This record gives sequence, structure tokens and C-alpha cells, in this order.
Amino acid sequence: MTLELVLGAVAAALIGGLAAIERKGALQLMLSRPIVLSPALGWALGDAEGGLVLGVPLELIFLGGVNLGGSLPANETLLAAALTSALVPAGMAAGTGVDAPLAAFGLALLYPLATAGRRLERAAELRNAALSDRALERAASGDASTLWLNLRGLLLPFAVTASICFACAILSPLLASARSSFPPRLVSGLTGAWHAVWALAAASAIRAIRDPRAAVFATAGFVLVLGAAALLNALP
Amino acid sequence: MTAAESVAEAPRPRVSFLALLRVFWRSLFLQAAWNPHGMQNLGFAFAMQPALRELYPDAAARARAAERHLEFFNCHPYLAAAIVGGAVRLEEDVARGAADPRRVSAFKAALGPPFAALGDGFFWLALRPAAALIAAVTEPYLGIYCVLLFLAIYDGVHLAARAWLFFAGYSRGEGIVSAVSRAHIPQSTAFLKGTAAILAGAIAGRSVLIAGLPHRPWHAVLLAALILGIAAVLPRLRLTIALYIALALGLALGGALL
Repeated sequence: MTLELVLGAVAAALIGGLAAIERKGALQLMLSRPIVLSPALGWALGDAEGGLVLGVPLELIFLGGVNLGGSLPANETLLAAALTSALVPAGMAAGTGVDAPLAAFGLALLYPLATAGRRLERAAELRNAALSDRALERAASGDASTLWLNLRGLLLPFAVTASICFACAILSPLLASARSSFPPRLVSGLTGAWHAVWALAAASAIRAIRDPRAAVFATAGFVLVLGAAALLNALP
Repeated sequence: MTAAESVAEAPRPRVSFLALLRVFWRSLFLQAAWNPHGMQNLGFAFAMQPALRELYPDAAARARAAERHLEFFNCHPYLAAAIVGGAVRLEEDVARGAADPRRVSAFKAALGPPFAALGDGFFWLALRPAAALIAAVTEPYLGIYCVLLFLAIYDGVHLAARAWLFFAGYSRGEGIVSAVSRAHIPQSTAFLKGTAAILAGAIAGRSVLIAGLPHRPWHAVLLAALILGIAAVLPRLRLTIALYIALALGLALGGALL
């Protein structure tokens, strides 16, 4: 394990942890969205473009995930942070960068983190309920000085996400050696799988627009692009 | 002069501008301890603390005020800025004895749900998808700078709205409702959703073209069919299952055909 790998893992842990608290608990400037987080984390690890390769389709896949009231969508931040922490160093070590086969392989491996992130959030909520009860008890007894307990709610998402990102970055050499040993047929298959991920991303983005006119407008956008390609002689 | 008249004429204790700024800053942490019992209650009380400290020098009175802000509260985190600002204004009235403390709770309870619906519809379901899709569509041309475009569009609107809502809430109190109703939010929401849908279709078109290059028209046709199929079954089919089906199909077809 090199010092460079450990330093990268620490950077990934810090950025991933901060993104986890920015997602819901603090600011909500959308710095934790995959389209921002993956390139930013990629930049910190040495390959911003590699982060962007992951960030754009992930953003589209999770475009419709909305935290309405008590509902919990899949945790796109945890997935984007972990995936970028693992794949950017792996791509650099393998000499391929974050290409389609590595991206598809990594996504298939790490996608369950998006649903595990939902459980993490539920656990954080239960812990927060205890903090809220404590603040209420203290206020009822005449002590209003415990409202800062609010910020303690940020600790669990930070710690768990940071730990996962650290582990993913540390384990990235395994992914690098796997990528280097892919036979050509598997590379072709995984390239096809990444195209399919883009298909899912496009379909998911269309479904994310909760409007009765969405299908009509999306068809118009689709036809416009194909029409423009036909005019430019760029059809396959 | 009656007691009521003397209360009405008493100078309103004002929260200092610095304390107002601190309340606004803390309101950005409204959901730090979001919980199923009180939802944003702890965050709301935390945001109000700098104002309460100035309005209620007596610790017991301050604790009573904190207690009413620890009541259940839920709203969209951005639109809640207006309610936080309005609550500071109402607390000033309560502190000079010109308003019943229950008015603060009633104000929060009345505005929370409608403002939540307005904020969810505009920010989560319209502005964010539109900004993300603009960034995604421009990514092949702008490269990494599409990220800055996304942040400029989204945060340009969001931060301006949040600051305006807070200070408008503070200066107008209960009058914030009419100010928000004149902001044309539903019309902007419909426009942004239409734009986002066109851009989502454009992304689908681009994905099909890329899959078909160079000279692989059947790949383009297969990908178009896959987009249509997934769009038809989502969200009845869970995203996780859809992802693994798409990966498996892509792997099988790519391995055999590419």
C-alpha cells in the first residue's frame, strides 16, 4: 500500500463525508449530486474527467429521487462517492482511465450501496429522534442551551460515508488488476453494458419529469436530435 | 392610556442585523437532525436561537420560546426560510407582549404544508432536473465546465430565492403569503418541466446515436427499444432491478455483437 494511495483514500473520505452531510443536513447547494460530486472527487484523486464519466449518467439515473416528507429515495451520494473513490484510482492504475468496461463493472459491484444508503439514513433519523427528545426535555426544564444538538445529526452520515469511501479507495488496486485482466470479449460485453446504463439513464430522466406532457416533449427532443443528425449526415 | 394601548405603542424590540444573518446561516442547517417525530423541529429551534437570545434575556422565557420552536415542523428546506424569517418577526411581537405566543405556532403550522408543496414542485421536481439536464446535454461541448453551469443555474436561483424569502418573511411577517403568491412559481415550474422533458428526450436521442456509431445501426435500434422499454416499466419496476436487467442485456448483446 503506497502513501499516495492512503492520501487519496483520506481525501476521498473527507470529500465523501462532507458530501453526505451536504446532501440533506447542511446547505443543500447540490454539491453532493453525482454530477458535481464525482468530478470533484475525481479531481481530488487525479482524474476529473474520469469522475465526469460516472457523474453524468448517475445524475440522470437518480434524477427522480426526491426526499418528500418521510420518504427515502436511494442514496445517490453514497453510491457516487464510493464508485468514484474506487474507480478513478483503479482506472489510473490500470492505465485505462475510467472507461466504459470499468465503469459498468464497478457500477454492477457497488450499486447495492445506493439502497444500503437508505438504511443508513433511516438509522440516522432514529438517532436524530433521540437528540430531538433530549433537546425537548432540556427546554421543558428551562434550559435552552442544548439546541446545538442539531449539528450532532450530521455525524453519523459523515462517519459512515467517509469510512466507505476510504475502504473503496484502498481496495481500488483490486479493481485495477481485474480491469487489466479482462479478456476482449468481456471488454466488449461491458462496453455494451455501459451503453445500456445510458439507456437506463435516459429512460429514468424522462420518467423523472412528473408532468403529463413529459412523454410528448421528450419525444419532440428525441426527434429533434435524430433530425439534426440526419441533416448533418451523422446517422449511424 | 389602557394597558393594551401602551403595549401597542411600546417600541418593538428588534433583533440586530447580525443576529438575523446568524439565523439565516443556521437555517441552512434546518435538516441536520431531521427525525420522524418532529421532522425539522430541532433545526428550526437551532436557527431561531440567535434571535431568541436577543429577545429573551431571561433564561426561563428563552427556554419557553425554544420549546415552542421544538414543536413538529416540516417544510421544504428552502421555502422554510420564509417561515423562519416570519417567526423571528412574530417573536419580536411576542417579546413586547403584543402577540400571543400561540400565534407563532399557528403561523408555522399554517404555512409549512403549502410552502412544502410549492418548494418540492419547483426546486426538486423542476429546477433541479432542468439544471442537471442542461448540464448533461452540454457536457460533450463544455466538458468539466458543465458542472459549473449546473451549479450556476441551480444555486443562482436557489440562493437568491432563499435569501429573498428569509428577509421578505422577516419584513412582512404573515404578509409573506401574498409575496410568495405573486412570485409566479407554478408558471415557472411548468416551463422548467417542459424544458427538462425536451432535454431528457434529447439525451435519449444522443445515447441512441452514440450506440450506433460507427456503422452499427442495429445497436442504435436495440438501444432505442431498451430506452422505450425501461421508460414504460419504470417506476413499477424498481430501479435496482431495472439497472441489473439493463446491465445483463448490454453485457450479453455487447459480448456477442460488438
